[in-house]
Amino acid sequence: MFANRIKGGSLTKRTIFWGAGIVALSLAGYYSILQTWLGSPRLLSVQDVGESCYRASHDESLPPEEQNLFASFHEPTVRADDANTVSVDRPPVRNIWDTDPVFSSVSVDTVRNEVYLQDSNRWSIRVFGRTDNAKPGDPPNEPRRVISGRTSDVQFNSCVWVDPGSGDIYTVENDTGDSIVVFNNKATGDAEPLRKLKVIHRAQSMAINDATGDLFLSVQYPPQVDIYNKLAKGDDKPSRVIEGDKTHLSDVHGLAIDGKNKRLFVNSWGAVSDYRVAGSGRFELPSIEVFGSDANGDTAPQHIIQGAKTQLDWPGGMSIDADTGDLYVANDMGHSILVFHGTDQGDVAPYRVIKGPSTHLSYPAGVFVDTKNKEIWASNIGNASATVYPITANGDVAPLRMIRGADENKKSLRFGKTEALAYDSKREQLLVPN
Amino acid sequence: MHPQIAAFARLAGVNTPAVRAIEGQKTLISRTMHGFYYDGPHDEIVVMSPLAQAILVFRGGASGEEAPIRVIQGPHTQIQGTPYGANAIVTVDPVNNEIYVPSVPDVLLVFDRAANGDVAPKRILTGKSGAINISGQTGVGVDPIHNLLLINGRGAMFIFDRTASGDDKPKAVIRGPKSGMNNVHEFQVTPKGWIIAGGGDFAADGGFVGAWSIEDNGDVPPRWKIPVQQLTGYVPYSVVLDPVHKEMMMAAAGRSNTIRPANGIMNSVITFSWPEIF
Repeated sequence: MFANRIKGGSLTKRTIFWGAGIVALSLAGYYSILQTWLGSPRLLSVQDVGESCYRASHDESLPPEEQNLFASFHEPTVRADDANTVSVDRPPVRNIWDTDPVFSSVSVDTVRNEVYLQDSNRWSIRVFGRTDNAKPGDPPNEPRRVISGRTSDVQFNSCVWVDPGSGDIYTVENDTGDSIVVFNNKATGDAEPLRKLKVIHRAQSMAINDATGDLFLSVQYPPQVDIYNKLAKGDDKPSRVIEGDKTHLSDVHGLAIDGKNKRLFVNSWGAVSDYRVAGSGRFELPSIEVFGSDANGDTAPQHIIQGAKTQLDWPGGMSIDADTGDLYVANDMGHSILVFHGTDQGDVAPYRVIKGPSTHLSYPAGVFVDTKNKEIWASNIGNASATVYPITANGDVAPLRMIRGADENKKSLRFGKTEALAYDSKREQLLVPN
Repeated sequence: MHPQIAAFARLAGVNTPAVRAIEGQKTLISRTMHGFYYDGPHDEIVVMSPLAQAILVFRGGASGEEAPIRVIQGPHTQIQGTPYGANAIVTVDPVNNEIYVPSVPDVLLVFDRAANGDVAPKRILTGKSGAINISGQTGVGVDPIHNLLLINGRGAMFIFDRTASGDDKPKAVIRGPKSGMNNVHEFQVTPKGWIIAGGGDFAADGGFVGAWSIEDNGDVPPRWKIPVQQLTGYVPYSVVLDPVHKEMMMAAAGRSNTIRPANGIMNSVITFSWPEIF
């Protein structure tokens, strides 16, 4: 049949007539599944009864024809090249999108007293005063500056980092850009970057070791940490790469460097596979791998934090308190900030947890420890905010201040990159993955 | 970043929050879910966990940190992706109870829909005869009514018998400048045999969603097209259909530094009324 169609043949009325008779015997068995299927964009198969499966016109038990796949057999399928293309220029009837920023990462310039928030929904970096504060009832904070636009090359930005020495602003481009773009600390609007560094796909987070000038970059997959000089640009290659089975890295997200104690912390989400080996996938619990800051190659971590007591649940950004060596973890799905000792290992509970309704934490993906001002910052993708706590905070504590990118009761759509879609016809819901 | 599967009411609009979301460590989902499937007859959601070479099956009404009810993963599965694309796409034929996973090297793996654990594919089609170069990012769809398997890659729509395997050749290929055929992650086939897929030159602001026929072969223009990029500024990544309300929904996101919507919002789901195709 298909061959005939390809040649331009179409189903005849005679075929339809005889087909209708045959289908009457076969239709009942398919009807129950057909009922379930109606309303779905995907189709039922009728191949078991072959080409002759057509609806009997007198069958009143079937749903209305406009909802019934059998309606399609009332006329032959139209070949697209039988007619000119008709452009349907109607505007869309609905849009689902979020007009507010999604704050995925935070960094503080303690010299210039500015806060940088990475907005991955609008591909921008928003700069606020460090002491800006939206109190209850206040409108959203207005940023001092917004870096965004084609010249700036800010795109699918997952991490922002301020180099405390130079004040340069680094932004990691996680997907469409595959780069680190660097700006000076006065950049605004569609600014020309100081330099760009081409990096591997799925770069996620970065940190700079002030003592050595090393730039550490985490890459989700294939899981690795790439180490560059912080002034690297163009096609410069990493001087070291931590990668391989011994590293225990998988679906890598957050990264933090403790220059004083020479420790590198990297967190993994536990989706494991070697792209070179078919069927090598497996799942593990999330973990934090702790390496020496000079680690290189396929190196085992010095120790691993992993297990039920850790409360790790999609850990995001991490930051070090340089004074104490404590590790702060933005625990996205835990709606919490977890604090570990830098020497913790195994299945260990965080010694402090900032969590609860008073905290206003909502899907925190970024964290920054400001040792100068003794504050902890969190960026919340769930409510378009950044929240600030005392560095000793523990439990259900209210933030000292809050920067809001949206109204007070904002519930973000938490979009990251909307590339796929499914329609749940049973519940009349659109399913949208990131 | 935050690899959720968020569910929105059909009539949701700007800034409308999701009514539920599948998210969290126990779900086993990860980023790069570029093509997945809601299986209506069985009320299940089927999605890849791209970085773990796994197929996850959830209850249709799954919400929050809910574990999948089945996981297909392991050495027998032969699932393999690339370092760049991983294993991003899966589709389902709920009538013939099969799951399709494009994979490397240049293969389409077909599993039993009810499979669980470390199981071998029941059938494998290579892209060899069509020079398709199938990878984990290749679009795939099944039309069980007309018994067809469609693969969208390299700016072409390859149409096979549904049960094609080995080095079987495609029955037809829609491609060429008049066709405008491009690549999307998810496309659809209507009961009447319309292939609803992405076309046009995205870099030239010409992206559209078009309707070709399953009977087409060669450089055939679409019967209808919605010039979505001109109308909205967005390029189509995936399209789905709602035949009850005669609507086409499109997932769209900022594609690159040069192909980015002018309104500055990089993530969207846009719905069009399109009664002509139903």
